[in-house]
Amino acid sequence: MTLTEKQLAGPPADHRVSPGNPSMTAEPSKRVEELPDSQTDLQLVRKVRHGDRAAFDLLVIKYQSRVASIISRYVYDSQEVMDLAQETFVKAYRAIDRFRGDSAFYTWLYRIAVNTAKNYLEARGRRPQGSADAADAENFDDGTRLRDTASPERELQRDQLQQELSRAIAALPEELRSAFLLREYDGLSYEDIARILECPIGTVRSRIFRARDAVDRQLGPILGAG
Amino acid sequence: MDDRLKETLSAMLDDQADELSVRRVLSHTEQQQVRSQWQRWHQLRELLHEGQGRVEPIDVSHRVRQSLAGTGLTVDLPQPEPEPREPTNWHWPAVAMVMAGLLVGFGMGTGWDIQQAESPVLAREARLGPAETAGATSAEVMPEIALQGLDEQQWEHLSRYLLEHAQHNSVAAGRGAVGYARLASVSTPAY
Repeated sequence: MTLTEKQLAGPPADHRVSPGNPSMTAEPSKRVEELPDSQTDLQLVRKVRHGDRAAFDLLVIKYQSRVASIISRYVYDSQEVMDLAQETFVKAYRAIDRFRGDSAFYTWLYRIAVNTAKNYLEARGRRPQGSADAADAENFDDGTRLRDTASPERELQRDQLQQELSRAIAALPEELRSAFLLREYDGLSYEDIARILECPIGTVRSRIFRARDAVDRQLGPILGAG
Repeated sequence: MDDRLKETLSAMLDDQADELSVRRVLSHTEQQQVRSQWQRWHQLRELLHEGQGRVEPIDVSHRVRQSLAGTGLTVDLPQPEPEPREPTNWHWPAVAMVMAGLLVGFGMGTGWDIQQAESPVLAREARLGPAETAGATSAEVMPEIALQGLDEQQWEHLSRYLLEHAQHNSVAAGRGAVGYARLASVSTPAY
């Protein structure tokens, strides 16, 4: 059985995993980042509560694009989006003790972002230009608005990045590529991938890292690696 | 950053790192490297999921960092409403507790004894006091319990049980509760 069409997009035909694997899904499952309860998030939040700013940095980096996208539903100006995103995270940091983990951290953050954007517009006597409910927090298509307003140069750059990414993935050794794609597109846990690929979990973890690292080496210069 | 630490960071990205690993990453001396690696991998992930990929990279992390450190520019925004609290169901238990408290307070104020309402045996104990109740014969207690429809065997068991309990309490008055439990489990296996 092969990976999905989306998974195969870009890389050539050798972008396949071993046949006869019953666990390969036909449809890509929920995006990894959209899983409601992220253990890493909770671990980082615990650290933040103990005053660890570095932990909060990682949460900001993880969610800044999505927060900006939520806000861009209400506010079109990119500078305002940046300001409101910043404000959202500052508010989240100051209110972190009130997050008890009953909901996913992202859902909580999402509500703060929405309220921040709405309050901002109301204070300026502007009606919200868009709408977003907390229920959308898990699976909305972020980035849509900014993508619509992207310049042709940006579009071109994105296409180039996509091509480069496809090439980098295609160049991965088979065992790395399989583990990596099962994780990224199917959202499978390391345990499930280990079962599918019939190897220890530690091997899966190592393969995914090596795949990610190899792709990063190829795209890093374009993405602005320091 | 060595490969081992990067592998840990990669596992964090996949939500597969344990607490100790997270601590190791956060205690790394070069946090700038950790941040930039973390950021690039997130960008890669967004690219992989093309439908959700961004064209313009957004990076407010340094601004947030500066703002929290008090060194950055403060964004001049209108005062927002209080942050949303997490969805909780705390108010119903709280209301129930308050109502229960009021009920007990009202009951005590009007001399209503809850125990009295619940159990005739307990009511009797409350009237006579625990020591007197313990010393009572089984015959005095039985008519009340017999209303529950005990058969002959149960009657026998209960009689013996109460008798032994009373005897034990007369010997070890202060520690009756412990002896009660032991007696019940050892000498009356049917119970």
